[in-house]
Amino acid sequence: MIKASNYLKPAWVRRQFELAFPLLPPGTSAALWLSGKLLAEIGGAASGLAEDTPGAQAFHLVLEQERVGTLLLSSPATQALDWGKAFAHALQGILDAEHARRSVAQETLESYREMALLQRAVTELNHSLKPAAVAASLLKEFDGRKDTAGHGAVFLRNPDSASLELIQSFGEDAAKTFARLQGSRLFAEMATREAGDIINDLPASSQWAEEATDFKALLWLPLIAHGENLGLLVLASRHADGFAAGDLKRAQTLSSVAAAALRNAQLYAAEQDMFQSFVRVIATAIDAKSPYTAGHCRRVPEIALMIAEMAHQADSGPFADFVLDEDKRNTLQIAAMLHDCGKVVTPEWVVDKATKLDHIENRIHLIATRFEVLRRDAEIALYRALAEHADGDAARRIYQERLQQLDDDFAFIEKCNLGAEFTSDEQVARIQDVARTTWRDSRGEAFPLLTENEVYNLSVQRGTLNPEERKIIEDHAVHTINMLSQISFPRSLRNVTEYAAGHHERMDGRGYPRGLKRDQLSIPARIVAIADIFEALTAPDRPYRKPGTLNWAINIMHRMKLDNHIDGELFDLFISQGVYAAYAQKHLVAGQIDDVDVARYLG
Amino acid sequence: MTEIAKIAIVDDEVHIRALLEQTLEDLDGEPEILTAANGAEGLALIERERPQLVFLDVMMPLMNGYEVCAAVRSNPDLAATTIVMLTAKGQEADRTRGLETGAHHFVTKPFDPDEILDLAREILQAS
Ligand SMILES: [Fe+2]
Ligand SMILES: [Fe+2]
Repeated sequence: MIKASNYLKPAWVRRQFELAFPLLPPGTSAALWLSGKLLAEIGGAASGLAEDTPGAQAFHLVLEQERVGTLLLSSPATQALDWGKAFAHALQGILDAEHARRSVAQETLESYREMALLQRAVTELNHSLKPAAVAASLLKEFDGRKDTAGHGAVFLRNPDSASLELIQSFGEDAAKTFARLQGSRLFAEMATREAGDIINDLPASSQWAEEATDFKALLWLPLIAHGENLGLLVLASRHADGFAAGDLKRAQTLSSVAAAALRNAQLYAAEQDMFQSFVRVIATAIDAKSPYTAGHCRRVPEIALMIAEMAHQADSGPFADFVLDEDKRNTLQIAAMLHDCGKVVTPEWVVDKATKLDHIENRIHLIATRFEVLRRDAEIALYRALAEHADGDAARRIYQERLQQLDDDFAFIEKCNLGAEFTSDEQVARIQDVARTTWRDSRGEAFPLLTENEVYNLSVQRGTLNPEERKIIEDHAVHTINMLSQISFPRSLRNVTEYAAGHHERMDGRGYPRGLKRDQLSIPARIVAIADIFEALTAPDRPYRKPGTLNWAINIMHRMKLDNHIDGELFDLFISQGVYAAYAQKHLVAGQIDDVDVARYLG
Repeated sequence: MTEIAKIAIVDDEVHIRALLEQTLEDLDGEPEILTAANGAEGLALIERERPQLVFLDVMMPLMNGYEVCAAVRSNPDLAATTIVMLTAKGQEADRTRGLETGAHHFVTKPFDPDEILDLAREILQAS
């Protein structure tokens, strides 16, 4: 209905009447009605002037074939009618022009409205790079509005199966009602349409009345970006006249922005997935490189995240201010997975060096062969003595003593080679003694029983690695830094290198590779260091060593705390919050889990 | 709102006046909408009619929006008049100055009709 009473200002009409009145015959009255509203009247008989008043003349005003008003005139003189005709004609002209101006203005206002909506939507809907958050922002534009649909849902197409999945919804019992709708033929029909539409008064629809009994009206729109159908927006109402064309237009504007934002979110998620899988590939490669560290890069992140989560939850104590937001969580996980990535350039024979004489092969066998040569030499010496009719008994005794000595020496060298125990200075002297023994080849040339290099390796006092090899191992931390600093991480992950690079640093600054102190290491970096040690101590799948028990591992870590090697506050958190126990339940084998005297370690 | 509300639109651009007027006609209670085409005329209109609500353009001849706003605010008789300033897009810095001179709300041109209506309803209901 056209509201023509707004088209003319009453004051203007009144003034017009006043100006015209002196020109009219005496006794004339006039009134102007527009859209049922009296705008102005003049003359003695004007009040109560109606179309059926005897002698009254009515001039109708029309817009779009609709009668919107009447100029009423009552006069004793007929020439007043001519004035009425002229005045009505002028009014009609003004109304026509005003009507045209207003419809142009209406168009402009609609564009303003859409522009404002778009501007807001672009900001709101691009707020997050998570599909679910984009869907929630889209629904927020419909939820709680005065002309609300009552119910709304966003379904997203699973990129693999192409089936639609409910991502977000609002309204009473939304999850249930939309699940029912999703099972209907109507929904299947909606999903295949390329354009959105409205169905009002569903119960009256012969085709769909049985289909969507929860709702009386539906509005739906496919979410399309770059020609790709990403999902479906559905609004539902319990009123039969739930939706109008304007609602669809508004929904279209919002959906176009939402679809673009969803596409961005999906592309971003795909990038993230790809990056994560690269990280996993690298971690798997390192784990696969050596049976000594199998599963290490997979389990360290788990421990690290468990510790970080506890630090996040603490609302008092040293970690009260520590916040593990999503970026930090991702950063920590990636850093923990990649902390040993430098090991890809470490030669396996060093990583795997199980005995002091390992160098690609365990060289103890070469030495065993030389001992064998000496045994034969002793045997030959025996037979030679017997053949020369020497004292047979004496020759046999010398032979037996020689064999005994060789066996003792070899057993000693073999034990040293394992590096399981500390090698004392006396033992080093004995190694040098053994080395001085010579053996001869068939041409009679003499060689020392142990080469210089063998003596050097066997003389390692702790473990199996000589200083150069220890350096090669420690260099993996440098390689980790070098490799990670070449990756251009996004801002949200810019701390990966720092978190990963400090895992061999010690709180007292005696660690490697940089000798950083506690306050030079971030909390997440210290967390990775603790996780690294705990995993290494409790790993159930190391060859040549039976898995350590929980109590044994924690005892060692406790000493590391007292030594200012690991962060004491993190160790306390690790123990007091039962992180070790939760992890043990999941990853350790039955024989490893023993009772841990928590009170003792927290003293 | 017992008596009919009065809303004044003060803007030198005729299309803004027309569009605002047409937008505000959708308010319930058929408020009386008054218009003025420059600052001086606007101030006179406000002082004479004492509207509850004024939409006031910033850039106008004779007297700009800040001056009108400051004049209205310094008049204790007009304490009940709420001023909504219309600023051009990209000139959001004007808001600081508008706030200093006593404007209550800001709307960027081109305005969102729904925002204008919501704002007007809220202000008229409160007055
Ligand atoms: Fe490492
Ligand atoms: Fe490690």
